[in-house]
Amino acid sequence: MANINELMEGWGFGKQTAIGTANAGTAIWRHTNLNTKPWAKVPVNEDDRAEIGKGHEFPTQLFRSHYNMPPFELSKYASSEFLAWAMCFSLGNVTLTGSGPYTYVIVPALGATNATGLELPYFSFVQQIRPGGSAVLDEMLVGCAVKSWKLSIKNSPGRASAMCSVECVTTGQYTSPSAITLPAVSTPHEFNAGMITALTFNGINYLSGGSAKQFVSMDASWENNFRPGFFPGSGSQDGYQIQGRFEWGDRAFAVQFVVRVQTGSTEYATLINLTTGTATFTVTRDANNSFSMLIQKMGFSVAELGNTDGIVTLQITGVQLYDATNGLVTMTIITPITGICQ
Amino acid sequence: MKENVMDWVFMQSPQGEVREVEATTEALTPLMVAGWHQVPAPAASTGPVAQKPAAPAVEEK
Repeated sequence: MANINELMEGWGFGKQTAIGTANAGTAIWRHTNLNTKPWAKVPVNEDDRAEIGKGHEFPTQLFRSHYNMPPFELSKYASSEFLAWAMCFSLGNVTLTGSGPYTYVIVPALGATNATGLELPYFSFVQQIRPGGSAVLDEMLVGCAVKSWKLSIKNSPGRASAMCSVECVTTGQYTSPSAITLPAVSTPHEFNAGMITALTFNGINYLSGGSAKQFVSMDASWENNFRPGFFPGSGSQDGYQIQGRFEWGDRAFAVQFVVRVQTGSTEYATLINLTTGTATFTVTRDANNSFSMLIQKMGFSVAELGNTDGIVTLQITGVQLYDATNGLVTMTIITPITGICQ
Repeated sequence: MKENVMDWVFMQSPQGEVREVEATTEALTPLMVAGWHQVPAPAASTGPVAQKPAAPAVEEK
């Protein structure tokens, strides 16, 4: 028996060389996670109940089918390290420069020019409880990918004002014991809403000027909509079929934000006039830790009047348009950690 | 092999052209959107290297 507090999680900050090739221990970091559930392995069996010729409708035999691995959530306070990791592995096109701190410029990969087609970088995930001779849990899941993420900013004190959760998927391939000695738990450089240094959506600056006191919250999310990765030759583990690829489908980038309504609020006019413009969200902890999301062309599709804690507010749903030159969105992250997604 | 240095980075186009560009979001974004990706700096040339002519010795007075 073990308490869940003993669960240690580490995962590759570097990318695997192939979907079936695990990260080396040197490319794995260890972090805490607000999600208290381990990543479950779910082998699925099937039976012969649908087959006639047995003389009855009841099953008589079991068959191994496949590993149906549920998505797993990494839920963390937003930090330069974790945001760099999440954006690199979810968007795929990464440029790394600097000699400490390091700057990551990231845009969504395009299938036409991505070296791995519709596949994003893969990483390994290690979970352990009392690793060693009497381990309760010690396994490494190989071939994990970032399915989606959500970045939430809100008016509240502390680290909870800037959260990032990442949903991951995995093939079903694993090694147990993991043979990985996890490093000490990392201390990421976390952000909070008080560190926001740029907050302009479609020409409206919510950080200074006449709209400075309007902003309430923002949710941005990315979804890769992976297609199932079972195919001839996708592989097997323990006699169960595993997935051999995660190809993105129709990707979705959503941004919603809530602002207080005041005299002269221009959100309605912006929506009705089909006005578009860039959107910039930047949070800066110090010279070595910052995150910037530049949406190249944003319009508003919905402006819904409501109230938030008794204050009259508008919930704005943005439409992120693809710009022919600058694309959809560019993430720029400065962090002390090198080698992320390399 | 020469390393990428801070503020400049080598990028390769889908057609194979390699260019050293300033490592700013503004400069990198349109290239990355067009399919350029980061590559290591090209290896230094191994051929003969032209040298500057030696400076003439200055006679001490």
